[in-house]
Amino acid sequence: MNPRSQTKCRRHALPGLGLTLGFSVVYLSLIVLIPFSALFLKTASGGWSHFWETITSARVVASYAVSFGISFIAALVNGIFGVIAAWVLVRYRFPGRRVLDALVDLPFALPTAVAGIALTALYAPNHWIGKLLKPLGVEVAFTRIGIFMALTFIGLPFVVRTVQPVIQDLAVEVEEAAACLGANRWDTFRRVIFPALLPSILTGITLAYGRAVGEYGSVVFISGNLPFKTEITPLMIITKLEQYDYTGASAIGLVMLAASFAILIVSNGLQAWNSKRLGIS
Amino acid sequence: MAGVSTINLHNPVPLSATAESSVAKTVLVGLTLVFFSLFLFLPLAVVFQEAFSKGGAAFFRAFGDPYTRHAIWLTLLVAAIAVPMNTIFGLAAAWSLTRFRFQGRWFLITLIDLPLWVSPVIGGLIYVLVFGAKGWFGHWLMDRDIRIIFAVPGIVLATVFVTFPFVARGLIPLMEAQGIQEEEAALTLGANGWQIFLRVTLPKIKWGLLYGVILCNARAMGEFGAVSVVSGHIRGKTNTLPLHIEILYNEYQFAAAFAVASLLALLALITLFLKTHAEWRAERQLHESSR
Amino acid sequence: MSITISRISKSFSRYPALNGVNLEIETGELIALLGPSGSGKTTLLRVIAGLEFPDDGGSVRFGGRDVTGLSAYKRRAGFVFQHYALFSHLNVFENIAFPFRVLPRRERPPEADIRRRVSELLGAVQLAGFEKRLPPRLSGGQRQRVAFARALAIEPEVLLLDEPFGALDARVRKDLRRWLRDFHERIKRTTLFVTHDQDEAFEVADRVVLIDKGVIQQTGTPAEVRARPVNDFVRGFLDLPPRQNIGKSFFIRNEPATARTSPPAQPLAHDTQVCAGS
Repeated sequence: MNPRSQTKCRRHALPGLGLTLGFSVVYLSLIVLIPFSALFLKTASGGWSHFWETITSARVVASYAVSFGISFIAALVNGIFGVIAAWVLVRYRFPGRRVLDALVDLPFALPTAVAGIALTALYAPNHWIGKLLKPLGVEVAFTRIGIFMALTFIGLPFVVRTVQPVIQDLAVEVEEAAACLGANRWDTFRRVIFPALLPSILTGITLAYGRAVGEYGSVVFISGNLPFKTEITPLMIITKLEQYDYTGASAIGLVMLAASFAILIVSNGLQAWNSKRLGIS
Repeated sequence: MAGVSTINLHNPVPLSATAESSVAKTVLVGLTLVFFSLFLFLPLAVVFQEAFSKGGAAFFRAFGDPYTRHAIWLTLLVAAIAVPMNTIFGLAAAWSLTRFRFQGRWFLITLIDLPLWVSPVIGGLIYVLVFGAKGWFGHWLMDRDIRIIFAVPGIVLATVFVTFPFVARGLIPLMEAQGIQEEEAALTLGANGWQIFLRVTLPKIKWGLLYGVILCNARAMGEFGAVSVVSGHIRGKTNTLPLHIEILYNEYQFAAAFAVASLLALLALITLFLKTHAEWRAERQLHESSR
Repeated sequence: MSITISRISKSFSRYPALNGVNLEIETGELIALLGPSGSGKTTLLRVIAGLEFPDDGGSVRFGGRDVTGLSAYKRRAGFVFQHYALFSHLNVFENIAFPFRVLPRRERPPEADIRRRVSELLGAVQLAGFEKRLPPRLSGGQRQRVAFARALAIEPEVLLLDEPFGALDARVRKDLRRWLRDFHERIKRTTLFVTHDQDEAFEVADRVVLIDKGVIQQTGTPAEVRARPVNDFVRGFLDLPPRQNIGKSFFIRNEPATARTSPPAQPLAHDTQVCAGS
């Protein structure tokens, strides 16, 4: 008998694979796979020219700039401040640190609509921050800056939570060694600490970006939804649906899906790089 | 002992080799506090401030409104259906993924993360495409006068879609880390599948399970984008709390909108508190059992 | 209860862990499965336990009864895991009582009986009085004995131990080895244990089974194996001197390839048995 032959049906000792896997697959098929196939099929049924027209129409393209462009800037800002915040939360001790740490997850827990109206109110010309900025001629509500604020809010936890565990696992000995070799704190940071954190920072930025690109609830209030100026791509999908242009809506949906998929691949790649760097299998 | 340099007579505070100067520390803490204030504290504070801006009486009056009451009830109903469904799914998926190795496992894991990656609007779009008036089953449903889109079932579906990863993701790393030794031991001692699950696995994962359920619930009650697409915004019929807030806000009833919003914000804070606690307990349990 | 293993093969995604293994174990024997890591010894033990299933064609029999297709919970083979696998959320009493609790209702003994049985078992492993303790509060050696008591609770015909002392420090290991030997004398259950430590195997076992690369290399009493290692693996693993061509007397005829005799051996410094026996 060939010892390398695989038995067709490998039996497992622990029970339950059939039941749990079967249930999971059926559940996912009904909730995810079948509805998603509708997305593809609907787009295809509209034909290529309609697809192309829809996704390249001026208004939709303008929304790409808003959704994808501003998300990117917001993710970068989160990258910078997120690292600082993660460092402070891990390395320093001060009263209220625990509470602050828990609050980092607020954008996860807070419903997006609540965040949306809160941010709009906050930056309205007659409110706390809006009042401060008015004399400077800076308007936030109903502008791209407002969108930036909302997207930064939504992405905040991603960088912080991705970088925190890495900072926690940094071996203090490495920093001590650098100090013994004559590096001052800034050098140590630049040459030793930062390179060690870089993969996780990039991962966090990518995650924040992926989330921001698809964000709807927290943005639509403060954006004002001015065509060509402050419309986000998810809104375009809704607009098409309201016009009963299902194929158009699916077309834009497909574009967003493709973008999400690309971001996912990049993020997975970065996470694999991150794990390899840290020596995790 | 972290390297402490010899005390400099001119600078009596010894500078540890692995700590920043106090100036740098202050700057960093300062930046962090400004960042968090701007993006966390202030928005949270605004919600409560605006809610009470017209006084306490107006605050409570907002909840007397029948449409608000219905929105609360609908939100609770949707969560009461979606969360248990996704909990069962999470348990099943976690069991199959962490206790066994099989072909295509990575595909299942990736699929579970999907809703976290796509825009919630897409989560609503796909169900419109299947059940909407011009969707696959559109005519079939209309003929039988069954409404899914623009009715409660559609809202439940959309909510289930955006929240199904949470329980699974709370359980998978935990169960993976715990290993299957105790389950195998129970097997050799004569326990069948259900006994193993109920007596051995469940007690060990209860905090991770709670963590996942808390997050799932928070998202289920707060979901806006996906529900907005399928709901139809019919007052008193298909408005969940977040949608109701939107309506109030668009009608310039700011105090009422924020009053309702403050309820959800309070829920968010409770969620954060419970989640942190559950997370801590789960870690402690994992640490103890692996000693 | 005798164990008969025939033609067991097991591959993990094209990696052959076991390759056509045959083994006969008599009732009441204490057998050591000895080999380096990756040799397949643990896999073999798990196949016997029902925690893994062999590829097509092999069979496992307990006392003549074919158990190959039976799931572990039907085989009544007591299994002690390398890291004990005690239920960390249950105290010692509940850990040992577990097998009784999961019996089908009609077979389940009354609570008083369960308590009696658990006390007996705790006494047998010298842990009386530890009922209420939780596993994290026990020492390694104590946890190991609880794991034993628990495995014995199902009144197994066969005891399977996976590196039972591997996770313990040297002194505890020595004590427990002696304890295992005594215990086996008392209960006389067919016992199979896996180890990579040859001192342990030779000190405790009636018979030693040497396994490498998924294939059984040699079986025999410790004395036999030491005196007549059949190949270079066995020789190397047991630190025996290499086969020497010099010293073979002119009168010794050529041995067939499968049964090689070592030349008249120097008495091995640490093993008086070989001197006396061969």
